[in-house]
Amino acid sequence: MTRRTRRTRRTRPPLRSLFELPRRIGWRDHAIGAAVALVYAIWLGLTARSLGFPRDEGVYFRAGTDYVTWLHALWEHGQDALKQGAIDSAWSYNHEHPALMKTLFGLSWWFLHEQWHVVSDASTAYRIPAMAVAGGGLWITYLFGARAFSRRAGLVAAALLGLMPRVFFHAHLACFDVPIMTMWILCVYVHWRAQETRSLGWAIAAGLVFGLALETKHNAWILPAVLVPHALFVQRREIVHALRAGRVSIPTSLVSMAVLGPIVFLALWPYLWNDTLARIEWWVEFHLNHEYYNIEFLGRNYFGPPSPKSYLPVMVLATVPTVTLVLFAVGATDRVAVTVRRLVAWARSLGSKGSSGNRPAGDAGGDNERAERPPRDRRETDLLLALSFAVAIGPFFLPKTPIFGGTKHWLPAYPALALFAGHGFDRIVLAMRRALPDLAGARARWAEGVLVLTVIAAPLAITVHSHPFGLSSYVPIVGGTAGGATLGLNRQFWGYTTQDAAAEYLNAKAPRGATVFFDDTTWDAWGRMQEEGRVRGDLRGAGAPHEAQFALVQHELHMSEVDYSIWTALGTVNPVYVVAHDGVPIVSIYRKP
Amino acid sequence: MPAVGLLELGAHLVQAHSVVHESDWKSARDFVVGASQPDDLVTFAPRWVDPIGRQEFGPDVATLQREARPDESRFPRAFEVSIHGAHDPTLDGWRRTEERSFGRVTVATLENPSPVHVLDDLVAFVGPQRMQVSRLDGDHATECAFAHGSPVSGGLGAGPAVPGDRFACPNGGFVAASVAADLAYRPRRCIYAPPQGGKSVLRVRFLGVRLGRTLHGHHGIYVEAERNRTGAPVTLTFKVGDTVVGSVVHNDGDGWKPFEFDTSSLLNSTSATGRADVVAEIESPSGDRRVYCFEADTQ
Repeated sequence: MTRRTRRTRRTRPPLRSLFELPRRIGWRDHAIGAAVALVYAIWLGLTARSLGFPRDEGVYFRAGTDYVTWLHALWEHGQDALKQGAIDSAWSYNHEHPALMKTLFGLSWWFLHEQWHVVSDASTAYRIPAMAVAGGGLWITYLFGARAFSRRAGLVAAALLGLMPRVFFHAHLACFDVPIMTMWILCVYVHWRAQETRSLGWAIAAGLVFGLALETKHNAWILPAVLVPHALFVQRREIVHALRAGRVSIPTSLVSMAVLGPIVFLALWPYLWNDTLARIEWWVEFHLNHEYYNIEFLGRNYFGPPSPKSYLPVMVLATVPTVTLVLFAVGATDRVAVTVRRLVAWARSLGSKGSSGNRPAGDAGGDNERAERPPRDRRETDLLLALSFAVAIGPFFLPKTPIFGGTKHWLPAYPALALFAGHGFDRIVLAMRRALPDLAGARARWAEGVLVLTVIAAPLAITVHSHPFGLSSYVPIVGGTAGGATLGLNRQFWGYTTQDAAAEYLNAKAPRGATVFFDDTTWDAWGRMQEEGRVRGDLRGAGAPHEAQFALVQHELHMSEVDYSIWTALGTVNPVYVVAHDGVPIVSIYRKP
Repeated sequence: MPAVGLLELGAHLVQAHSVVHESDWKSARDFVVGASQPDDLVTFAPRWVDPIGRQEFGPDVATLQREARPDESRFPRAFEVSIHGAHDPTLDGWRRTEERSFGRVTVATLENPSPVHVLDDLVAFVGPQRMQVSRLDGDHATECAFAHGSPVSGGLGAGPAVPGDRFACPNGGFVAASVAADLAYRPRRCIYAPPQGGKSVLRVRFLGVRLGRTLHGHHGIYVEAERNRTGAPVTLTFKVGDTVVGSVVHNDGDGWKPFEFDTSSLLNSTSATGRADVVAEIESPSGDRRVYCFEADTQ
């Protein structure tokens, strides 16, 4: 061997080793998760401008501004800002939702748009925290999957989560639905780590994160239904042991959640600093007795209880890519099978304990049973993920639960769904290896890569194609957007598609200074679209169809009454233009003859 | 599993590229314009494609009378313009006589097995020449004058728009031809005549109506009021002279409710022209959210 060759071997490690990750999940996995998050957030950022503003988003823009104005006052005037009058004047607006995300929206707007001029659209600046948090949701999902199953499972899970068209749509918005999805899975993950490590640090983290989840959206109220039974089950032996010793043992993470959670929650929501109990009571009452809005399901307009029990299953089937659901079924079935084997082994062990007195010494039966028994997961991951999924969707089978939010209200269930799907992908890879035992080395890796592409391609294509009509888009198994319309599934809500009407017609065709009735879009949203050049600035909003030269109707079943009012008010039934997605009407534009 | 993924991808690509081309719509329109008569129905299927149909076929074909029809019985023939193999269920039982394809658009010609002959459509009477409106409080009648003004309309929850041409009652009530959404959110062209409530009666007199064997019609209440089922019933009574032709009550939840009265006995007692004034009286114990609309014709 020549000197040169020896030097080369010393200085250049094999190329493959650079890409080989250690078995242990660590900082490199955070780097992978962060990269996934970054790519997703950038994608969201690049597509944000083509998405209009739904009604609720305009409210949160304004709330964010109010909250930051108060923070400004606190910075400049100190004590004066802490008086109830000052707090209430800023924080009373939209006090039906906690303040964490709205405060972040406001801070992002203040720094990135107002102060540093990094982001030209104020709306994008408001949206950045939500988009970043959406990326964070994928990061955690990857990490969870990598630790629970495999890196491949984690990566596929993160990808499938991000490539759900509805997740992609809501991830753009300065709202709380994707943030609570992220906070939910973060809470579940941190809790899981706390059970695994039993360390004080993770327990404290569990409390803090639970507080942040409470401060994000009220879905967090039901998180204890996931975490408490799981913690009690994981630590059942310690708890029973302590009880036998006359002590009560409560998992530290639960204590932390019970103590730190409310502290974080209250600390971050100044509106609750005065009249605390009364205001919390109002908040709870508001959501327990929430107004019902209109929503179409299977051709019928629902506007009150009872909500149809089939709503969630049908909507999941119609909006989550089918390949994702099939992978979920494969993964979940496998985990159920493992659980059943564990239960059977456990039942046998009970039986063998009972009959151990009759067993001859040296009987090998015990060894055989151990060999059949699946490896025990001390973290009880299957139980946790199953609870995370079931608890998040559970309320939507209750007749009183409003369904007006479409799928957005059960987004917290989707990371668990994606994780099971990631595990399902692992099973598919395993099956491929069994079917093709000769496949090895680079060829095996190529085959796995192709397999990844085959399960990612459809969700990617559907998600890309759905934008900006994410709420109108349905998956191919129900016939796509047209199939969803034929089934009578909701096509959109809260007037965000007016921007598309402007982009496709009004900006080019409306005469200067024309008046426009924009139906379900809020005045705040209209004004902001004009400020940001999405709608021509000279166009004037009109409060009613008869006051307008142009009248829009965003197609939802119950909006038909507005459509017919326009017919009478403008004297025509013929739109001059119809914004459509895959040939399905989204917005009709009428012009006064 | 790869097959599931690839199948889904393929289905998505096919669906995303199955949008109907504008040229197909135009070809279908040209065909319907050439083949249809004014008394034919032109309808679009599936229902969700109706806005595009109205846009593409324009005001000469996609008319208010066809779009907001009270029902299909008066049309002897229908042109069903459809995509994706859809069919208008209201034409079930009609005989399909012809089918033409224009790219992705199909135009089917269907014949009504039992069309009715409408003598007079009372909605077409709305106007000062052929209709009078008054409010009765006991024996006292207050005339509601016909006025030309601006339409009044609103967004969601505002109820049907009130057209500029309307009979306006002194107390703020009105009667006009409008389009209401029925309980299934279908458009219905009708006479918007909210009852005044209490003992007041809103009286609509149609002048010189050609009478036939039946007086046929529908009535309904603005969908948002009707679906809550909390409002008072509305009674509609038709009279010719002193003869009560028939009376029908609309309760919330009834939807676009049909009615039909036998008028054959009146044929002999009316003038030689077969015409008579028909009076519709609308009353309800309460006027609250009674955004009421009716239509009627003689057959």
